[in-house]
Order: sequence, then structure tokens, then C-alpha cells
Amino acid sequence: ACGGDTDEEEADNGGEDTGDNTEETTDDGSGEEASGDFEEQEWIFITEETGEQVQMAYADEFAKRIDEKSGGNITVETYEFGGLGSETDQVVQLQEGTAQLAVTSPGFIGNTVKESQIFGLHFLFPESVEETQQVLNESEAINVDLVEQYEEVGLEPLAFWTEGAMQWTSNKPLAAPADFENFKMRTQGSELQNESYGAYGANPDGYSWGELYTALENGTMDGQENPIFFIADASFHEVQDYMTLSNHNNYVATTTVNQEWYDGLGEAERALVDETVEELQSWVFDEQKRQNEEFLSVIEETTEIVEISEEDREEFKELAMPVRDFYRENISTVDGAILDKLEQEIEEITGE
Amino acid sequence: MICMNVISRQFFGPSIGFHSEVAKFAVVISTFMGISYAARKGRHISMSAIYDTVPWRIRKAMAILIPLVTALILFALTYVSFEYVVNEYERGTTTAYLGMPTYLMYLFIPLGFFMGGIQFVRNLFVNIVNKEVYIGTDALDYNDNKPEDRHIDDQMQV
Amino acid sequence: MLTILLGIMVILLLLNFPMMIPLIVAPFVVVLLGYTKFPIDSSVMVGQLVTGIESYQLLCVPLFIFAADIMTAGKTSQRLLDFIGSFIGHLRGGYAVTTAAACSLFGAISGSTQATVVAIGKPMRERLLKVGYKDSSAMALIINSSDVALLIPPSIGLIMYGLVSGESIGELFIAGIIPGLIVFLAFTLYSVIYAKVKNIPLSDKATWKERFYSFRRALFPLGFPILVIGGIYLGWFSATEAAGISVLYALILEVVIFRAVHIKQLPSIALSTGLVTSAVFVLVAGGQVFTYLVNLEKIPQMLSDAVLGSDPSTMYVLLIVTIFFFVGCMFVDPIVVILVLTPIFAPIASEVGVDPIHLGIVITFQAALGSATPPFGVDIFTASAVFNKPYMEVIKGTPPYILIMVLISVLLILFPQISLALL
Ligand code: NA
Ligand code: NA
Repeated sequence: ACGGDTDEEEADNGGEDTGDNTEETTDDGSGEEASGDFEEQEWIFITEETGEQVQMAYADEFAKRIDEKSGGNITVETYEFGGLGSETDQVVQLQEGTAQLAVTSPGFIGNTVKESQIFGLHFLFPESVEETQQVLNESEAINVDLVEQYEEVGLEPLAFWTEGAMQWTSNKPLAAPADFENFKMRTQGSELQNESYGAYGANPDGYSWGELYTALENGTMDGQENPIFFIADASFHEVQDYMTLSNHNNYVATTTVNQEWYDGLGEAERALVDETVEELQSWVFDEQKRQNEEFLSVIEETTEIVEISEEDREEFKELAMPVRDFYRENISTVDGAILDKLEQEIEEITGE
Repeated sequence: MICMNVISRQFFGPSIGFHSEVAKFAVVISTFMGISYAARKGRHISMSAIYDTVPWRIRKAMAILIPLVTALILFALTYVSFEYVVNEYERGTTTAYLGMPTYLMYLFIPLGFFMGGIQFVRNLFVNIVNKEVYIGTDALDYNDNKPEDRHIDDQMQV
Repeated sequence: MLTILLGIMVILLLLNFPMMIPLIVAPFVVVLLGYTKFPIDSSVMVGQLVTGIESYQLLCVPLFIFAADIMTAGKTSQRLLDFIGSFIGHLRGGYAVTTAAACSLFGAISGSTQATVVAIGKPMRERLLKVGYKDSSAMALIINSSDVALLIPPSIGLIMYGLVSGESIGELFIAGIIPGLIVFLAFTLYSVIYAKVKNIPLSDKATWKERFYSFRRALFPLGFPILVIGGIYLGWFSATEAAGISVLYALILEVVIFRAVHIKQLPSIALSTGLVTSAVFVLVAGGQVFTYLVNLEKIPQMLSDAVLGSDPSTMYVLLIVTIFFFVGCMFVDPIVVILVLTPIFAPIASEVGVDPIHLGIVITFQAALGSATPPFGVDIFTASAVFNKPYMEVIKGTPPYILIMVLISVLLILFPQISLALL
């Protein structure tokens, strides 16, 4: 598990000197560890995204750095979503050790590690993405208690990071809870998501991803949620009139490895993995920020941007509160203990 | 399989999570359980061009050899897929909507392979015991029927 | 590794093993013998079997087949024939054109080439022979016109491509419309010229009263493709929903309105549909195991570097794809070819900028062409069984049609707009 404060400091430093100094840093890395130290090997790294989306960018950057640092002895093959089967297959392959590394998120792994669905709760994390990342780096609830939940099923989470805040797109403005009345909201189909949107009075539906574009186009579905870069990549803004900057939660990704494999790594290799994952925390924060900002300006061209007022946000938050109890009772396998702790930690960080 | 048709017929309309999970179970069960039934009726899709042109003697030999090897392969697949079911049971994964343990669904894969294997053994025996060539216990080889007795269904593929 | 993988597959295929065996066994053998770059726990591949058939969109396959089976058992095809015949039967080559048109129309209703051969081919062949067509040319016309069913939506071939590539089946259906119509027009033109050259006698012209009568009788069947294709085109429903509506429509038509199919027949029709469906689904499941291995080993990337060179042109890639699918479908069932070759070629094509929808049309077109082309095109065997005619007799008349199809293939490769215009 990652430590608390040190991560954050390093993340901050890394954040400042990304760009110019990256090369220098990696050169140092490979200089210290002679490439002869590493046996030739290949690792499989699966993600849940495609193309140059944030997770794939992360995996490819990881592969590049490992290749450089190991003097080409360790090759990391990265796989897009779908390349090695469905989301279930991906998790199974990670658990069985066919794949060594993966980026996982609650939408994919929520049925295996129930507790990971905590990231799906609305208006729990701070509205600010920076602060959310800070919580992800520092929280003991996440980096100790939640990690244990992964370890129980043979997985080792190495880092939690945000891919950006989730936003709503819709064919009518969604600014207040009242706008959700009878609104046909597409979710990934989990109980918690359906409960969350049900709380606003919407009709949530686990509509299949493959047919979602058409469904939004002809109004079979009224809206959906995703981070900005993902919305733009799927061209949903072309068929939706509004995008609400709801920041109701973050798309939290987890760098996850097979536990047995990780424990069996030589010291040098494990240090290499740890060090690279740590470096990438600030790198991926900048990457998601870049993508989300870039695509926001693309979406703005065709789609009206809606903001939520402070009062409406409070109203949303109030309606979302009972869902936390639903989570404690029906989802959590530790009776909400992790959530309780996380709530406290978030309060401390945001000072609310 | 009728079941699947009936079920799936009720499911057009927006694909609510519940529907797609039930539909997925139905498709998996009917597909794998269908292996043995299709084998009995000689309806598995195969590339019969060479088989159709060889002399009777070779055809008879193939009609014994192919079910034998197929049965052995299916039994091997039964073993491998059962292993997967055991692992799935240990992983304790459940479905997103119904919370049903997924190993229950996967269980139909080894079951389907096993029953398919048994049926191919029966296809093998019917060819050893009888003089005629059978492509399934319920289906005589169409090559030995007089053309006018052939049923179009025997040749129907999609 | 690819050589061994495909080698095992081809050998088992040629030996007449049920096709699910080569599809599933070849990947397992390769893995167990350790020919893969990564060590793979073979049991992990079992999960892929389910992944292959878990798509909700796959449900449209049994539904479309069921609808086609109901209509084949009923009167839909007969009424379509009477209607078209009454309008153009008297023209030069009228019966041949009627055949082409009816096959296209029935193909637009059913997803299946074979169903079309049975439903339209059987009655039309008798009429064609009566007005003086040679049997071999009548059968060639029927086989090739029925192939339009594979292009005009709904189409099992397009559904399979959509599943493997992850492209929208609705969009593929829409993209198939113009190429399907072009094939129909080309066959019509050929039929007219053929009739002129061979001096096929003219038949009686139907009166307007007869025409109106036959039109009225065909009204419901005609509404069918309009509803299905129009509904998908206008975005009223998805492919799966369209399939559900097809079944409902076929039931109302044949059971309630025409009373041509008795309710008691439905269970046996459903059973036959179920049988065909699970035989296909097992292949789709097995195909996913194969796809998995192809992806894991990054075979498309390997091939595109090795075979295609560093900077292949779009045309070159499409040409290679065309040849592989055409040759593949000459020997093996198009479903299997699409399942096996799509995961290999689709990534390569997308890399050089081929529109994936266009690629789907090119591939399905080759599947249609290949399955009507000797030596082993599946349609030839269907026709040989349906018409009780020897293989040689069936293939004798096919060369002109194959030539026409090859020419249209070239057009399709040169002008992607043919498939993409309606999108
Ligand atoms: Na069709
Ligand atoms: Na065909």
C-alpha cells in the first residue's frame, strides 16, 4: 500500500517539472539500475479504454518508461478494452495471472471488489478534481482499508487516480434535481448507480454501450454520464444538446496488479514498478487535465454547457445522502466502515 | 431452445440490465445445451465438401472416426471448462443486477460439452452397429438417401 | 504460430469435423503446446466462450431466423412473386427480373440466403423453366440473386461482422442498402440482355385489375421491409428490436391474416430455429476463443508490419482483405470466415484509415460472392439439395454472375461512398 504524505509531496513536485525534465529523470533511473539486472521478460497490461484515452495513455507511458529503465529487457504489452475479452474476462485474467497489470475501475471491477463501488457515490468527494486526487493519495481508508478488500481476491492496487470528474450530457438542461423527473438516464447498470439516479427521480437504465449513441440520438435515452474526454471520444456531444458540469463524482481508476506476481517479483523489479507507478501519479493527473480541457473546448462548440448553482448542488447532495446508507447496507461488505472513515478524511482535507 | 425464443421475444424494447442478464443466461444455457441436440440431429455446421465426394467406404470410416475424436475433444473441453467453473466459484463473482453467482451460468459449459461428448459417442456406436452411415443418431447420412426423399432441413444452414 | 493455428483449423475443417471443433481446438492446442508468446492458463480461455455470445445484439440472430422460418412456411413469398410477376412478368426477361426482385425483397425480409433460395427459388425455377430458360441459368440466377439477402438488411453476415468488430449493426444494415440495390439492378440488366440474346418468348401481360389484386395481396409483405429498414434508418429501433418486430409481424401476417401457418406448427418452427441458432452460436462462442488468441499475440500488428510493409495504401489493404474473404468463403461457411478473418484484418484496415462500416460491407459482399462460387460455396450445395440437381449442373450457369459481382466488388473498393452515402 502507498504511504500518505510523501506521495502527495512527490506528486506535487512531479507535477511542476513534467515536460522538460521528464527525460532527465528517466535517464537517471536507468543509469542507477544497470539493464543487466533485469531478466528478459514480457508483461501484459490491460486497460478498460481504447485509442489514446487516459487509461491507454497511462499504460503506454508506463510501458515506455519500463522499457527505458530496464534497458529494453522488460517489455510491457498494452491491451485496449475488448482486446482480451469482456470486462469480466479482464478481471479474471488479472486474478489468474495471465495478465500482470491492469487499470481497473468500479464499473468493471465492482462485482468482484464490491467495496470499490464507493467511488460511484455522488457528491461524496470534493467538487474540485485536484482535491479529489489529494484524497485519493492521502486517504488511509482508501490506501489501507480498501486495498485490503482488493487483496482478498488476489489483487494488489498500487495507485488510485482520477480520470476527471463525471459530467452529465442530456437533451434538456439538467441544473437542479427537479430536472431529473422521469428523465431516462443511462447507467452502466449497477444497483448503486440506479439507486443514485432513482434518488433524483430519474428512470435509470443499464442501456448497452454499443447502442447508446443511437439511443441518445433518437431519444430512447435522455442522457448519460462520463468524464469529458470520454464523452467527446464517443461523440455524444453531437447528439446531445446540453452538458452539465456536475462533478458529481470522479471516474477513479486504479493501477492494479496480480498479487502473486507482484509478491514474486525480484526486489529490483518491484522497485522499478513502484517507482514508475509513483512517477505516473502526477503525470496522469496532468494528462487527464489536458485531455478534459482540450475536449471541453471541442464540446463547447456544439453543446450548451450548464453549471449547477451552489444551492442546487446542496439539494443534489442532500438527495444523494440516503444512497450512502443504501451503500452501507446493500453494497459494502464491511458495513460501511470504509465509507465512515473516508467521510471523515474528506472533511479534514476540505475543511468542511 | 424454444424457451430462448420465447424469452427473447419478450425482451425487445430498451435493454434494461435485468433483461440483458436473463437473456445472457438463456443464450449461454441454450447454446451449450444445444450441442448435444444438434449432434443428435446431425445439424452441426461442417464443411462436408470432401466428405460428400469420397467413396462409401471412406465415408463410413470417417463417420466412425470423426465422432470418436470429437467426443474425446469434448470430454477434454469438459475438464478444462469445469476447472474454470471451480475457479469462478472461488472468485465468488456475482452478476451486476441480479447478484446471481456467475459460476452457475458457466456450469452449463462443461455440462453442455459433456452431454455433447456423450451424444457423439452415441453417434459413433450407431455407425458401428448399423450398416448405414449416420451423421447423427436421428439422422441418416443424406448422401445415402434418394434425392427425392431428402428433407431440405437436412441441408439448411444459415 | 499463426501458421500452426490456421493449419490445425483447416485440416480439421476439411475432415468434416463439426466447425465448432476446429475453432475451439486450434487455439487450445496452440496454447497447450506453448507456441504463444505469453504463458496462458488454458482455462482462462473458457471465459471467452461466454464472452462471444453475451452481446445483447446477438439476440437478433434467432429472431430474424425465426421470422424467416415462419415466412418460408407461409405465403409471404408466393404473394411477393405474384405481385412482381403481374407488373413485369410480361417484359423481355420479365421472369428473370421477377426472380431477382423477389429474391431481393425476400432477402430484405429474411436474414438468410438459404431461406431465400428455398422460399423464392423453388417456385420461380418452375416458372423460369416453363418460359424457356435453361435449368442451369435459372439456378445460377436464383443462387446469386439470393445472395443479395446477405447484403440487404437484415443480414446474418452483417450481424456477425458487427459483433466481431463492435460496429453498430444498425449502421451496417443501412450501409448495405445501396450495394444490395446495385447488385439487383446489375442482375436485372443482365437478365434483360440475356433474354434478348437467347430470344426468350414473352408471356401474357397482366391486366390492371389483376395487378391491383396482386398488389393488395402483397401489401402486408411489402410493408415489412419498409417497416424494418425504415425503422432502423429513422432510428426508431435498434437491430435487436427490429428483429423482435419482424417476428411479431411475421406471426400476425402468416398466422392471423393469411392463416397459412397454424399455431400448432410454431413449436416445430421454433425448434428448428433454435437448432440452427445454437449451431451458429457455438461457432460464435468458439470464434471468440480464436479472436482472443489473435489479439493477445498481437497478430494483426505483426502481419501489418510483415506482410503489408511500413506504409500500405488503403486500396492495397482492401484488395488483400477482398481476396482473403473471397477465397475463404469459396471454401468455408461465410459465418466462420467472418469470425476468423475479421479480428485479423479489421485492425489492419482501420490503421490505414478504412471506414469500419465500409469494411463490413466489403467483407460481407465477398462472403456473398464466395458462397456462390465453386468449388465449395455453401449456396451451391443448398441449391443442389433444394433442386435435386447434380453439382456440375448447378455451377454451369454461374460465371456471368460471378463476373458481375467481381466488377461490383471493384466499384465498392474504389468508391466507399457506395456504402457510406446513406449514413
Ligand atoms: Na437480408
Ligand atoms: Na451466401
